[in-house]
Amino acid sequence: MLRKRIIFSLIYSDGFFNQSRNFRLQKVGNEKWLEHNYQFSKIAHSLDELILIDATRINKDILKFSDTISKIVENVFIPICAGGGVKSIDDAELLFNSGADKILLNSSLFENPNLVLELIKIYGSQSIVGSIDYKSKGDRFLVFVNDGSTEIKMDLYSYIEYVQTLGIGEIYLNSIDNDGTGFGYDFNTIDKVIDSINVPLIIAGGAGNESHLLEGLKLEKVNAVATANLFNFIGEGLPLARKKMINLGINLAKW
Amino acid sequence: MRIVIVDYGMGNIKSIMSSIKYLGVNDVLLSDDYEILSGADKIILPGVGSYAKAMSMINQNKIDKILYELAIINKKPLLGICLGMQLLCNSSTEDGFNKGLAFINADVTKFEEHSIKIPHVGFNQVIKNPNSKLFQNISDQSDFYFTHSFKVTSSENINQSMCNYGQNFIATFEVENIYATQFHPELSQNNGLQLLKNFLYES
Repeated sequence: MLRKRIIFSLIYSDGFFNQSRNFRLQKVGNEKWLEHNYQFSKIAHSLDELILIDATRINKDILKFSDTISKIVENVFIPICAGGGVKSIDDAELLFNSGADKILLNSSLFENPNLVLELIKIYGSQSIVGSIDYKSKGDRFLVFVNDGSTEIKMDLYSYIEYVQTLGIGEIYLNSIDNDGTGFGYDFNTIDKVIDSINVPLIIAGGAGNESHLLEGLKLEKVNAVATANLFNFIGEGLPLARKKMINLGINLAKW
Repeated sequence: MRIVIVDYGMGNIKSIMSSIKYLGVNDVLLSDDYEILSGADKIILPGVGSYAKAMSMINQNKIDKILYELAIINKKPLLGICLGMQLLCNSSTEDGFNKGLAFINADVTKFEEHSIKIPHVGFNQVIKNPNSKLFQNISDQSDFYFTHSFKVTSSENINQSMCNYGQNFIATFEVENIYATQFHPELSQNNGLQLLKNFLYES
């Protein structure tokens, strides 16, 4: 039986890992801090996947980011997805060569669909994850690119349809409103769009504890839950949360 | 022991390399050179991406002939991973119709069921073949990481282990010295490492 996934997202910015709240970044620590508090080569046994996002606002340095990726993924034998600022095939290739198994695309989905099509042609749909950042405003859902800074003209419903026509292999759906709040996922919106998503769906934004992850995993059409909360899952946080969920009968891989 | 990973310009080989090294084999090379491939104790055929492009790179660089000589005639152990597994089959319907290496009598077609999401992504359980060398010391129904839209099926006994996603498909096969996995052992935690260890030391 295909299992559900628990994914940890790391928000990188200019040499540091960050706690993000509504897309405002707060530096938490550098690579050394991360290694000390999250030894991925050890706790990878509690994770199904790792997503690394370069959210540097000004002058993203993809070389520096890829160097960080290659350090983090050493002896981590789970899938790694990386992205943030991929503007060319060379950028994607650099991330793949640094240890990424999949590429996360956000702004280029909207700004450079030809690049997306080209990447899918070379690497296949299953290697490309489409990341969508959205906010709700009244009864509307607005979509943002460029690290949440630029609102686009398409609403969430049409954007979800659009990214699927490009042929991306998975959707990473991230609520800017709930991001970093620890109040739980934005199930109100997820419920509304879930039936229009025909590729694997990863939900993100708002998970603060294991019961939030659990609530997400219980939804039939949610394939994976992601958390980027560096504080709440520190140390043994992730291993314990996973164990508890398996005991509760959640369909997770066992190693 | 020397392991050579076939270089045809496609596939993320970093995690394969590091998992082999993690398992104690430091002599791992990436190459498309006849001499180097001939000097390998075992060969790995990786692959991510388009079937048609992969076959055209393989044919262009005469890797098809090299692999035929080394794996079919000389019986050197060969492990195909993901797309690498599919390339060992007769053909694929990806992008129309493309011929494969045809070392194994099996075919590659798209997942068709409407009730399932495509691609098939994530850890899934494998029903192991009791005769399998790859699955030694691995429990039945163990989890491995899959990510693919096309699947392998065969009407023959190719010592297959099966997986189910909407329908049954071949997760691994083993025919004499030719081994293959649809999933990525290098991304499948302890289960995957054990399987690679079996290929390195038991095949």
